[in-house]
Amino acid sequence: MTKSSFRTVLSASTMALCAAMALPALAQDADIKIGLVSPNSGANARYGSFAQRGAALAAKEINEAGGIDGRMIEIFPADSVCTPVEGVSATQRLINQNEVDFIIGDICSSVTLAMQPLVEDAKVVLVNAASSNPQITYQAGVGGYKYSFRNYPTDEVRALSIAKYAAEKGLTKLAVLSVDSDYGRGAIDFTKKYIDDLGVTLVSEDYYKEGEVDFRSVLTKVRKSDAQAILMYGLADTTPIIARQMIEAGLAGKLPLLGNGEFSAAATIEAAPKAMDGAIEAAAWLPAYDSEGSKAFVAAYEAAYDGEEPNNHAYGHWETLHLLAQAIDDADSIDADAVVAALEAISFESPMGTITFDDHHQAIRPLLLLEIEDNAPVVTGSVTGAVTYADN
Amino acid sequence: MYFLLEQILNGVSSGAVYAIVAVGMTMIFGVMRAINFAHGEYYMIGTFGGWYATSALGLPYPAAILFGVAVTIVIAYVIGKFVMQRMIGAPVEASVVATLGVSLVLQNTAILIFGGSYKFFSAGYIEPVFFGDVGIAQQRLLIILVCILVFLGLELMVGFTRMGKTIRAVSQNIEACEVVGIDVKKVVMTTFILGTALAGFSGILTAPVNVSVYGGMGEIITFKTLPIIVMGGLGNVRGTLAAAMILGIAESLVAGHFGLQYRDSVGFITLILMLLWRPHGLFSSRARF
Amino acid sequence: MNNTPLSTTASDPKRRNLRAPIVIALAVVALGAPMVLGTYAVHAMVIALIFLLPAHGLNLLVGYTGMLSLAQAAFFGLGAYASALMSIHLGTSFPVNMLAAIALACVIAVPLGIPALRLRDTSFVMCTLGFVIIGQAISKNWISVTRGDMGLNNIDKPTVGLAGYSWTASNPVEAYYLALVLAAFATWVFWLVVRSPAGRNLVAIRENETLAESLGIPTWNYRLAAFVIAAGFGGAGGSLYVHYISVASPLMFQTLYTTTMLIIVLGGGAGSITGVIFGSFLFVALSEGLRIAPELRMIAYGLSLLILVFRFPQGFAPFLMRIWDWAGGVDKKEGSA
Repeated sequence: MTKSSFRTVLSASTMALCAAMALPALAQDADIKIGLVSPNSGANARYGSFAQRGAALAAKEINEAGGIDGRMIEIFPADSVCTPVEGVSATQRLINQNEVDFIIGDICSSVTLAMQPLVEDAKVVLVNAASSNPQITYQAGVGGYKYSFRNYPTDEVRALSIAKYAAEKGLTKLAVLSVDSDYGRGAIDFTKKYIDDLGVTLVSEDYYKEGEVDFRSVLTKVRKSDAQAILMYGLADTTPIIARQMIEAGLAGKLPLLGNGEFSAAATIEAAPKAMDGAIEAAAWLPAYDSEGSKAFVAAYEAAYDGEEPNNHAYGHWETLHLLAQAIDDADSIDADAVVAALEAISFESPMGTITFDDHHQAIRPLLLLEIEDNAPVVTGSVTGAVTYADN
Repeated sequence: MYFLLEQILNGVSSGAVYAIVAVGMTMIFGVMRAINFAHGEYYMIGTFGGWYATSALGLPYPAAILFGVAVTIVIAYVIGKFVMQRMIGAPVEASVVATLGVSLVLQNTAILIFGGSYKFFSAGYIEPVFFGDVGIAQQRLLIILVCILVFLGLELMVGFTRMGKTIRAVSQNIEACEVVGIDVKKVVMTTFILGTALAGFSGILTAPVNVSVYGGMGEIITFKTLPIIVMGGLGNVRGTLAAAMILGIAESLVAGHFGLQYRDSVGFITLILMLLWRPHGLFSSRARF
Repeated sequence: MNNTPLSTTASDPKRRNLRAPIVIALAVVALGAPMVLGTYAVHAMVIALIFLLPAHGLNLLVGYTGMLSLAQAAFFGLGAYASALMSIHLGTSFPVNMLAAIALACVIAVPLGIPALRLRDTSFVMCTLGFVIIGQAISKNWISVTRGDMGLNNIDKPTVGLAGYSWTASNPVEAYYLALVLAAFATWVFWLVVRSPAGRNLVAIRENETLAESLGIPTWNYRLAAFVIAAGFGGAGGSLYVHYISVASPLMFQTLYTTTMLIIVLGGGAGSITGVIFGSFLFVALSEGLRIAPELRMIAYGLSLLILVFRFPQGFAPFLMRIWDWAGGVDKKEGSA
């Protein structure tokens, strides 16, 4: 009985899993299965939702246009809860139960790092669309994991272009207020690499924890210092909080924000127009970007999801799925090695410009520099930088 | 010196928020002896209620406060009926697991209903008032004022009303209350609803300055509140106010002098240091209420 | 408790004792499972076995000593970081790393346990929760060592070397057998601890500390020892975890890990070894089984915690005990094993 109850538990879960698979299995055999790993529950669910919606929109568009050589795309969403162990379980399930052909994911870097060895062993192509940890590409491509790709700008290029721009504008004393994560800390580390040559100094360094809502103490400290601008690599939903508290602290209009954190989103500017005026951002994409493809994406997204404004994760996952679809089309096969070769050779025309991959499977893609003027973003430049892999 | 004063003011303004949330949690602990790991979720529900009222129903902010508190009360009633009433006299482990379960359910139901994307709260009175060089949002002054009123009200209630006296009695000795015919279940329910309504109320009050609204926002509040209620002497209302202010100010000073990244550990480090010195809290739980 | 019930004397002599066959069958199932199950299911079982280690430690505290500690997740994280750092910087092998992780967790547990154990009930729970929060803050901010949020990655798969021959658990099936051996060993150690006179003294302390004290049991020393041993189990689990998942990051101090360990112990049945083993598999089956409905998964998970608390307040241990009694021939009802 103990044995059978033990088995019951196992077989019950296995049966449940099979039941979940029954539906896709009834669909055409020729469907291309793409797993999408993202955080969909818990505190980080707010990032996963955009990823799911962006990818779902791209899948719909591709299928409505007749699929890839007539083969439809099917998305298998999986929840990582932004936790490595959950992400690995989700990925194992995608690979072994759903037998997906490709995986897109995750947003949280630690999860992506844990997924890389798995997809390598299983020979499943992983395209990341949102993790910023530099390790991900240091160890991909010629670095080791040949099935891992990343279609997301590196923070090194971003940090350098912002620091340069600041120096050109005469903003040489910066107060750091970044998110306490690999992204926020990583971007500041890269900044430090270049500031000496540019004559820029960091007068203070503060890192806020995700979900932090009280910045008054730090902003008070910044006001007392001789900082000329706030250097922030932050989270999109924290930017309006900081901006509002800058107004409270009397910093709005005096110290501009520099960095990245969806400064240009309409809701952010609306929340605190005084503080956002003059903000300078280096972004992979922004909703207001004036290109036909980007505008069409925003319109389609808003039409599909009750007028919700897409963010960069929505765009990133949308674009990545289109990019992957083109690679599959180029390869004319869903064979992993053929698609890897196709991705390595790809020259994808995205709404933001041409995307190619370097030998570390890191996307070389344009990054926009923009400034908020009169409550609207103005694109002031575009940089395409390659990463140098000297010190790893 | 001036800088210090300003940091203290910042601390008081965040301490006031912690105090309103924590006092509800500590009162619930008082009558049930249960740590409510889901307490922050009621703060989240209140915020969501207020957000829904202003952005979807187009209600003005004061009406949104009422709406948010009403939603919190309804949900608290359901949870109270099905979960909290059964926790009376249950072991600590049971209350930890059950309230963690409630927390998961509430958090992810909010995500399911409203979707996972960002939501910004745009109502409220965020224009700053300047005292010389120091700026503070009107909303924060409102929060500090509300905090004072809440604590005055609670003092009056537990001191002079029948309900308050029964809450105090149940906190001191459940068995004796049952013997003399006090309806313990009803007292627990009332206290639970009062405590969670305060959390929801605090959520809507802080929404204008905290801006971001999302399903997982309650967890942070829960973790800020836990050390406060222990420091305040579990079940002790005045102690909780003092502990909340101490923590608010300590956090503000740490963030201002050492760095924001150390802020979240301040609560638990203070708690552990304090427990080394006084294992029963800064304020004895005997002096409860 | 794991006491064999006295009721065996009441068994029907004609009825066969099915206990030995059940144990053998379970062992066969445990050994043969990877041959039948797919990689994903095997992976899920590895996770169950990994979490069994800290759960044993927590069981010693909750089930045998009566102390609810949330600090297991802190020792789990400590063990994981210690192993990862040794593997990266010293290149030491898995067994060495694991022993070091256990030793470090035990050593750190002493200064943490001394103040914490002065506290009772809620204060103790909060203090141990504080250790987790502080652990997270350290892993995030001690960047020169932990690399902060960047985390440590590419940690070697567990390699076991013996006399010139070495073997690496490079896939889930191999990892399963490694985890199975380690979990079995840990269970045996745990069994030795709780079956020893010391273990019985712990139970005495749980039941009535004042009485135990008056009988001359040094309750303080025992409780500290239990806390330290539990930390060791936590460290061992963290070490195995990091070599399997290959990434260590501050995310390991999230509530999810603490909750997982609590559910395994309380769901399985605090104070019961078999209950906790069952609990770890049940928990993983539940958490993975719920993946069929991604949107509802965490809601359903939360609801099952409530069902657990209200329907099975003692966990599943009493239920397992009944099966065991029945297998021993207490119940005359016929059935297949």
